[in-house]
Amino acid sequence: MFADYILLLFAPTPRRAKGIFNVLRGRRTVSTLFAGLTYGCLDQLDSWHGVPLETFLATTTKLVTAGDLTSPEAGYYQLTAQGMVHQRALKKERYQPVASVTFQTVAVRRFAALSQLALQVVSEAAHHENRYYPVTTDPGVQATVKAWFRRYRGPELAPTIFAALKAFLTTLPDELARIFVQSLTGYQFPGQTDAQLAAQFNREPVELLVIRRDLTCRWIVWLQHHPQDPLWALLAPLVKASPVSDSAQQTLQEFLRGGDLAAIAQRRKLKLSTVREHLLEVAILTPEFPFDQLLSPALITQLTTVFADQPDLTSWRFDQVQRVAPQLDFFYFRLFQIMRCQHD
Amino acid sequence: MTNDELYRLLRAKYGFTSFRPGQLEVISKLLNGQDVLAVLPTGTGKSLIYQLVGSVVSGLVVVVSPLISLMQDQVARLNYQGEKRVAALTSQLAFGVRQHLLNHLTSIKYLFVSPEMLSQPAVLTALTTVPLALFVVDEAHCISTWGPDFRPDYQSLGQLRTTLGQPRTLMLTATATQHVRHDIVTQLGVPGAQQVLYSVNRPNIYLAVATLSDEAAKRARLQQLVTGVRGPAIVYFSSKRQTDLTADWLREQTGLRVAAYHAGLSAEDRFKIQQQFMAGDLDVICATSAFGMGINKADIRMVIHYHLPTTLADYVQEIGRAGRDGEPSLAMILYVAGDENLVRNLNELTAASPNEIALDFDRFTHKREPASEVSQVLQYYWQHGADVATVSQLFEKRARAKERELQALMAYVTSSTCRRAVMLTYFDETAPQHDERCCQLDGAPLPLAALGLTRSATPTVTTDTDWVKALSRLFLLNS
Repeated sequence: MFADYILLLFAPTPRRAKGIFNVLRGRRTVSTLFAGLTYGCLDQLDSWHGVPLETFLATTTKLVTAGDLTSPEAGYYQLTAQGMVHQRALKKERYQPVASVTFQTVAVRRFAALSQLALQVVSEAAHHENRYYPVTTDPGVQATVKAWFRRYRGPELAPTIFAALKAFLTTLPDELARIFVQSLTGYQFPGQTDAQLAAQFNREPVELLVIRRDLTCRWIVWLQHHPQDPLWALLAPLVKASPVSDSAQQTLQEFLRGGDLAAIAQRRKLKLSTVREHLLEVAILTPEFPFDQLLSPALITQLTTVFADQPDLTSWRFDQVQRVAPQLDFFYFRLFQIMRCQHD
Repeated sequence: MTNDELYRLLRAKYGFTSFRPGQLEVISKLLNGQDVLAVLPTGTGKSLIYQLVGSVVSGLVVVVSPLISLMQDQVARLNYQGEKRVAALTSQLAFGVRQHLLNHLTSIKYLFVSPEMLSQPAVLTALTTVPLALFVVDEAHCISTWGPDFRPDYQSLGQLRTTLGQPRTLMLTATATQHVRHDIVTQLGVPGAQQVLYSVNRPNIYLAVATLSDEAAKRARLQQLVTGVRGPAIVYFSSKRQTDLTADWLREQTGLRVAAYHAGLSAEDRFKIQQQFMAGDLDVICATSAFGMGINKADIRMVIHYHLPTTLADYVQEIGRAGRDGEPSLAMILYVAGDENLVRNLNELTAASPNEIALDFDRFTHKREPASEVSQVLQYYWQHGADVATVSQLFEKRARAKERELQALMAYVTSSTCRRAVMLTYFDETAPQHDERCCQLDGAPLPLAALGLTRSATPTVTTDTDWVKALSRLFLLNS
């Protein structure tokens, strides 16, 4: 059930449901990214993109009714004792994705659509079949695959793809390799649906959704290490060098050149608050961020003292800082929090 | 173009040596520049008509189609036949892809579009810049049965057609009473259209109804039918949930290859189920009415309605998916007294009282967004300047019409005389003489053996556990 995977996202301390939801659907505001970082689910950013908020909230309500979650205040949920036991069991029973972080830098869904049609086209061509129902009628996907196929077609294409897929699938457990192959569409083989595969492998249908998505991510990672593969040409345009947005990346470059934040804002015609948001985004998404260029040793000591008795940093409040340093901007408090999260 | 030339084209393009009933007549009239309303039985290759006309007349063929899944099926089928210059303009397309399509309309030949999409100014403007070969309204009965309170955008088609410069128009449907035909040509503004009418009767489909005492008896009967009668079979339900549940149950009980199909599945899963069914990998499909409009499988032997269809016209459409190869097939309704209330409940969903209509007008005047489906339908009327009294009258008329449709359906279900006669009379047709291959009369047994519909051995299901073998079958020739 979908609820199983939602339960895995909660903890014994309160978490904001909307924050988790925004991580799953790939919202990239600083507050969402920060929620993902502190809740330890940033690797799942964008991985449940299509789920509507109502479904997500209805699921949390269901988990409360089932006695697995409790809501200490509106919008926040935490695990009950029963929920903790249940969650431990689910971690063992349910498939746990290992490559979701791929969503941060790759248009995974787009690649899934393109590769599915590309493999069908190659399979049909290998058997000299040109009358078949294409797996998608999306003109954008069709046009991209058509251009790719024109470039790579030839007697060697299908054997090459076969060898590459075999090499990739050999790195996986047998169950996953079988699921991958049986879900493909090609010559005289429509492929099996998630429900059919779930029945065959004795798993929940939602697990098949998670497994197949993770298989796509794992395949993408494999292709990134094998750029000579013909399918790399379909993937390459969908890969970003960094999970950070282009604009934030630009701000970072200026900052690394030693720029003062106000000067950067002026040069880039941005508000100072935007420049700060950019740096927070970079700090959250790249652990090697140079925190020490913004947080002086004195400030670090001061903030460490304020929160000395609060190991759970989601319980830190800005007004605690304001009491001892009324002039300090929220930005530095948040940055300190991120640093602690990244390095503790 | 002479008939000889048309036959040559048919052979060259599609590999057929003869036209199906009605095809040639409709094509000739269209090529003579006439607008045509064609009522042709299901399975007579209606899409071949506009494809062939499109291949002769220069310009774009615009096909208005009611469902996204149906459009995707139609595009896939044309792709399958080797026609690449075809696209469906749907709300599911990314903005950029849609813009690209609209800017390159001259590079495609067949464009499928919903009436809602067609009424968007950007789409309409783009279409006015290219020559149109033909304007096709597929499933044209939707104008009447879905029109007033379910798909109001169908009501705009007449005006949209005028905006497009009154292109040559083909209205296609498999079922239309005289009243519906009148509705179609009036709404589209083509009162002079030539009408080509063929009987809705499908003599090779045996008609039956099983009246049962309760739900348990219904399930037992369903199981008995799918295990005792030749497949492949489609079982229709009115809810997605029931579709899933019964598919699971049937699979467990019978060991048959059963799958569920409904609009709640992903596009990928819908594709796979359809293709498995076409390839003969499935024995039974449990489906909502979303399944089958675009399906072209000739050997479907049985169509069961676990829930009642909404109208006789829908029923004729849905059972028309059986026996397209001309071989005997069975159409069965499983009926428990009171089932008609389910249809009434569905009708209620799109109904509104004068008070509700007045309240919704109030909502509209206060510029609040429509919050329900009915409200969205009403929004269309308010945006088109209708007043509360007119809309209330329209809704009342529509509710009465729906009740009449239900009564006609129930007359068929509960008939103690020839069911085919009841059905054909409804469509203003004369019924052939009843015989034992026609329909099941009250209390008579199903003549399965006489029809050659007794099920033989059930195929055993084997799945390949060796993924390397499966992968090589996909990509390596001679493996």
